[in-house]
Amino acid sequence: MLGTFAYLTWCSFKNRVRRRVQRLREPRYLVGLVVGAIYFYFALLRPRAVSRRGRGIPGFGSAAGAVQSVASVVLFAIAALAWVWPGAGKPITFSRAEVQFLFTAPVTRRQLLHYRLIRSQLSMLLSSALITMVARPSTLANSWMSVAGLWLVFMTVRLHLIGVALSRTSLAQHGRSGVWRQWLPLAVVFGAVGVLVETAIQGWPDLVSAPDVRTAFLELQRLCSTGPAGVVLWPFHTLAALPLAQSPDQFASALPWVLLLIGLNYVWVLRSDAAFEEASAEHAERRGLETASATAVPRRSASAPFRLGLIGPPETAILWKNLILLGRYVSARTLLRLLPLVVALGLASQASGHVGLAVAVGGMCIWLGLMLMLMGPQMMRNDLRHDLANLALIKTWPVSGAAIVRGEVLAPAIVMSSVIWLLIVLGALLGQPLLARMGEPPTALEVLGYALSAAILAPPVVLSQTVVLNGIAVLFPAWSSVGTSRARGIDAMGQRLLMMAGLLVTLAISLVPGAAVAAAAMFAAYWMTGMVILVVPAVLFALVVLAECWMATELLGRVLDRTDVNAIEPVE
Amino acid sequence: MYTALIVIDVQHLTKTYGAFKAVDDLSFLVGPGEVVGLIGPNGAGKTSTLRCLVGIQAPTSGSITIARHSIVSDPVAAKSALAFMADEPHLFEYLTVMEHLRLTARIYHVPDVDARALRLLDELELTGKEHLLPVELSRGMKQKVAIACGLLHDPAVMLFDEPLTGLDPLGIRRMKETIVARGRAGAAVMVSSHLLHLVEEICTRVIIIDHGRKIADGTLDQLKTTPELVSAGASLEQIFLTATARES
Repeated sequence: MLGTFAYLTWCSFKNRVRRRVQRLREPRYLVGLVVGAIYFYFALLRPRAVSRRGRGIPGFGSAAGAVQSVASVVLFAIAALAWVWPGAGKPITFSRAEVQFLFTAPVTRRQLLHYRLIRSQLSMLLSSALITMVARPSTLANSWMSVAGLWLVFMTVRLHLIGVALSRTSLAQHGRSGVWRQWLPLAVVFGAVGVLVETAIQGWPDLVSAPDVRTAFLELQRLCSTGPAGVVLWPFHTLAALPLAQSPDQFASALPWVLLLIGLNYVWVLRSDAAFEEASAEHAERRGLETASATAVPRRSASAPFRLGLIGPPETAILWKNLILLGRYVSARTLLRLLPLVVALGLASQASGHVGLAVAVGGMCIWLGLMLMLMGPQMMRNDLRHDLANLALIKTWPVSGAAIVRGEVLAPAIVMSSVIWLLIVLGALLGQPLLARMGEPPTALEVLGYALSAAILAPPVVLSQTVVLNGIAVLFPAWSSVGTSRARGIDAMGQRLLMMAGLLVTLAISLVPGAAVAAAAMFAAYWMTGMVILVVPAVLFALVVLAECWMATELLGRVLDRTDVNAIEPVE
Repeated sequence: MYTALIVIDVQHLTKTYGAFKAVDDLSFLVGPGEVVGLIGPNGAGKTSTLRCLVGIQAPTSGSITIARHSIVSDPVAAKSALAFMADEPHLFEYLTVMEHLRLTARIYHVPDVDARALRLLDELELTGKEHLLPVELSRGMKQKVAIACGLLHDPAVMLFDEPLTGLDPLGIRRMKETIVARGRAGAAVMVSSHLLHLVEEICTRVIIIDHGRKIADGTLDQLKTTPELVSAGASLEQIFLTATARES
C-alpha cells in the first residue's frame, strides 16, 4: 500500500508541474515567470554571490546559540498553542478525491495516516530547500545539513500537530472521559507551560534590565538551558540543533535524539483512538465547495448591516451585499484575537521604559491607521476582486457597468475608512505625547487639526486605491485572482509583482492632481495668513480625488459592460 | 408572427472562441406565450446561445433584441425584461435565501417583495428555508432559489438552461407546471435541455441546433411533416436523432 501512496503522490506532483509548465504558453504566465525569476534572483540568490566575496551577512555560526534558544522557545510555543489555537484543531486534511477514492477503499486508518504523512514530505522537503537558500549557509556541508535538519524538524512538527489534532478530536468526541483518555499529553503540556511561565516570571527582571541585546540574548540562553526550563525545552533545543549544526559531528550527535522524537510522536499518533474520518470528510467537502465557488464557505449567519429598501440606486444594494459578505467571513472573535497582540506590544513598549501603556497604544493606533490607509485596500477584497467569481450572475442584472463598479468599491472603502477614523481618534486621544517628542508640544487645536485633516484624507486615499485595484480586475481580469483563491508558482508571483508595480504607478499618477491642488491651497493660505492650514487643502484634495474616482468608475463600467465572463479564469 | 409581438429576436448570431465557432449564423424569433425548446447534442452551442441572449457573453456578430431592446447597445433595458436560470445555480455563498430575494427585488425594482417572495417560496417548496445560506441547501434547493430570484420580477422573457437538474420528482413536476404557467401568462420562454420528453411535454415549439447552426425549427407537428424528417417517426427523440444524424 505504501508503494501505491508513493505512486499517487508522485503522479500528483508530476502532473502539477506539467500543468504549470503548460500554462507558460500563455504570455501572461511567461511574463510572470520572467519577472518572478528576476525577483527571485535579486531577492534570494544574489546576496549569496556577494557573501562569497566576504561582504555578506555572517552565517549562523556566530549567533547559533542564541538562534537555537529562540528557535526552541518558538517550537515549544507552536506545540503548546496547538492545544488551544482554533485552526490547529481541524481534522487531518484530505481532498474530496482522496475521500472518494481512499475512504471507500479497503484502506486501514493507519494506512490513511501513512498516506497523509507521505503526501506532506515533498512540500516539506521543498520548503526546507527554500529556507536553506534564503539562509545561505557558508558551506555545501552546512547546506545539506540545513536541508535535512529542517526537513526532520518539519516532519516532527507535522507529526506532533497531527497528534494534537487527534487528541483534540478525541476530547471533543468523548467529553469528560476524553480528558481521562488524554491525561498524559495534557499533564505534560500543562506541566511544561507551568514550568516555563514560572521561569519567565523569575527571569523577567534580569532580561528587561539587560544593558544591550547581546546580554539579553545570553540571559535568555541561560534561562532556556538551565534548571527545570532547560529540561522542558531540551527536546525542542535538540530539535533546533539539527538544522543549525555547524559540523557533521554536531549533526550526527543530535540526529538520534531527533529520530527518537519522531518515533515517539509517530507512536502517539498511531495509538490515538480518535476517529478522524468523518471530520476529515466533512472538511474535504467544505474545501471542495470553497474551490468550486472560489470563495471560503461562510462560517456563520450574521445579520445584515442595514435593511435594504426597495427603492434606490443599485450601488446601495451592492454595498449592502458586500457588507454582508464581510460580516459573514470576519467575525468579532477574529478581531478580538488581535487584542492580546496589541496589549502585548503595548506592554512591551511600556516595559522598555520609553513610554506609558496608553501612549504606546496610541502610537500603535497611528501606525496601524497609516498602514491600513496604505495597505488595507490590498487586503480587504470584498469588491469586484471577490465578485469576479459571480460575474456570470451579476452581468444578468439590469444595472450599468459603472453602477456595478461604484457599488463594488464602496464596501471596502467605507469599512476601511471607518476603522481608520476610529484609529485616528484613539491615536489623537492617546498618542499626543509622541507628537510632543518631535518638537514643541502641540495645542489641543493643533491636534484636532491634524486628526481632522487625516480623517478627511483617509477616505479618498483608500477609495482611489480600491478603484485602481478594481480597475486592474476589470481591465485585466485574466490576471486577477478570483475570489479568495490565489494562483501559486513563480509565474504567479511575477504576475502579482507586475500588478503591484502597476498599482503603485497608477496610484501615484492619480494622486498628483489632488496633491497639487492641496499644495497650492496650502501655499496660498500660508502666504495670506502666515499659518500652516491643513484642513482646507485636505478637503480640496479629497474633492479632486473623489471626482477622479467617479470618472474612473464611469470608464471602468464601460469596459465591464463589454467584459466576457470567459476571460475570468478560475485559479488552480 | 407580427413584429410588434416578437419578444426575442435573434438575427445571424455568431459566437466564436478563438478559432472555434460555437454558434454559427443562428436566427430565430420567439413571441409572447411561446415555450420554445432549444435542443442539440453536447457542444451544439445551446449554452453559448443562451449566455449571449442574457448578456453574459458578447456576440461575435449578429443582433439580439429582447423586448425591443438590443442586449448589446441597451443592456439595462433588455435585462430588465429577462430572467436566466443557469444549469448550475449561481448564488452568493454569503447571502441567505431571503436576502437573495431582497437583493433581486431591489435590482429589478420589485415593489411588493415580501408578498411575492412568500408566494414564490411556497410555490417552489422553500418555505422555512428563508434564513439559510446556500451552503446549507441541497443542489436542488439552490436551483429553486435561483429560479425564485428569476421569477420574482415577472419577466417577459425567461431562459432556462437544464431547469430540472438536481430536482426531486415533486420538484420536477412543480417546475414543469411553473414553466407552462409562465408561458400561458404571456412570457416568452426558452428551455434548453437534453431531456427530450420534458421538451416534448411542455414546449410549444422546438429549435434543434447542431455545430452552432439551426437545423430544425417548428412545432412537433410541423417537424413531423418536414420532408427531411417525415421518415423519423412520431416522437421528438426520433426526430432529434434523425436530424442530428443527418447533419453529422
